[in-house]
Amino acid sequence: MSARGLLRLAPALAILAAATPRRAPAQRAQWTDVVYVPGYWSGGRIVTQPDSLALVMRVDYFSAPPRWRAEIRRTSDGQNLAAPEILVGSGDQGVVVTQLGTTPLDQHVLGHDPLVRALVVFDRAGQRQGPAGGRITDRTPDGKVVRVVFRRATRNPSFDTALLDPGNRAGGRTLLASGITAVGDQRSASVVATAGARGVDRVKTPGGDVPVPPDTAAISRIERYSVGSVALEAFLRTGGLGPYALPGDSTRRHP
Amino acid sequence: MTRSVRWGVALGTASLLASAGTAPVAAQSLFDRLRQAANVARTLLPISTTKEVEIGRGIAATIAGRYPVSHDTALNHYVNLVGLTVASVAPRSDINYHYAVLETPDVNAFAAPGGYIFITRGALRLIHTEAELAGVLAHETGHVNAKHVINQIRKSDTMREVKNQVDIQGGVLDQLVGGGTNMLFMGLSRGDELEADSLGLEYASAAGYDPGGLAAFIARLSQHAAEGPLADFYATHPKPDERVERLNAIAQHEGLAGGAILAERYRAIVK
Repeated sequence: MSARGLLRLAPALAILAAATPRRAPAQRAQWTDVVYVPGYWSGGRIVTQPDSLALVMRVDYFSAPPRWRAEIRRTSDGQNLAAPEILVGSGDQGVVVTQLGTTPLDQHVLGHDPLVRALVVFDRAGQRQGPAGGRITDRTPDGKVVRVVFRRATRNPSFDTALLDPGNRAGGRTLLASGITAVGDQRSASVVATAGARGVDRVKTPGGDVPVPPDTAAISRIERYSVGSVALEAFLRTGGLGPYALPGDSTRRHP
Repeated sequence: MTRSVRWGVALGTASLLASAGTAPVAAQSLFDRLRQAANVARTLLPISTTKEVEIGRGIAATIAGRYPVSHDTALNHYVNLVGLTVASVAPRSDINYHYAVLETPDVNAFAAPGGYIFITRGALRLIHTEAELAGVLAHETGHVNAKHVINQIRKSDTMREVKNQVDIQGGVLDQLVGGGTNMLFMGLSRGDELEADSLGLEYASAAGYDPGGLAAFIARLSQHAAEGPLADFYATHPKPDERVERLNAIAQHEGLAGGAILAERYRAIVK
């Protein structure tokens, strides 16, 4: 075929290539569980008390079945959430991602934690078990509350599914792109301007030009201020916001 | 890539290839078009997050120069909590959000690029509930997330001279900061304001607040239209009635209802 013939054919090939159906990507889902147990924090320990709840961990889930990822942040004092422990999995099998590599969940200390075992539950197809959102109360057969989970789904999940792959070198870093923890503990030096612009000394307003002495010290003060993730969590809980806004209440009884 | 975009690319490629195979006059036309495309691409050079934050920091410093930032720690803490609550619904992972109160009776709010968001004491006085505050802060957060100011800056004359990110410094940076600050004080486009309204409604509702907060606040502004502190606000924003009508229509269409109002918590902290 001549070069001119190829050129004539190219538009049709381009259209065909674009119109060829592609395999639909797995439906992505993202949700957060905030986990409480009966009691209150005192001196780094939880004192059991039936009529109050103590925050113990927050788990952020990212799912594109059959693959999934869970980032677990625990608190050991009720004040701060620790750096995340990361699990990735396929179907009902999970591995713990560490700086050095991966360890099957069953062989890792996390796998022996009943809370983790109760929360990181996927079926063989990698689908989430349990309700999509709302308050989930786990009780013993005699009705005692074991834990209360506030679950909130993210409406428009946006994350790189490549990071659900345990073989990905970047798999060990936190994937959390949305959620309270990310915005509450925002102290990423990489995106704080170091030099900073000086501002300008005159601005246009609807009422005419106005002289303005820029106040960079005020901005430095604003940047130094940080709201902790636990404080934000408490704010949400007392206001019935975020995961605490959902009216659903699912009760699960232990066998 | 969505199917419609793929079709668009395919048709564009087809058109380009077809024109390449025809007469020299058409080839000349193709080169002209490529040159034009290159010019457009250069004009719309992306601005990195680091540079966005630098520009936003300069704009924020200018805003803080015009209106002093409040030293009321409890109030700033509360505004940050409400702001971060709505920002957490759809945050940009590449920036930090900062919220602060400006000590002025003027009724306004500002969103500088990079996540620097301000609300005036005058606006807080007109607000009655936490849901209304959430609506206003969510609207401003929407401006940041949609990069309304940054996108306008990218189209500015100053950016025509910028070849890469390194060029955004010194005098160029000052000019961009000046341009961005003027945009904020003179008002963004009607389209940007309405988009921020939509995003604000979505964020506040998804965070668990009553979706009517922003509309309630804007409706209240109508009752104070003749007052001096609202002069700049009216000069820089679309008509309140139009915005309220549109917000209500979106809420109805999306089936958004219910949610926290928290009037007492607001009154207890914002005195």
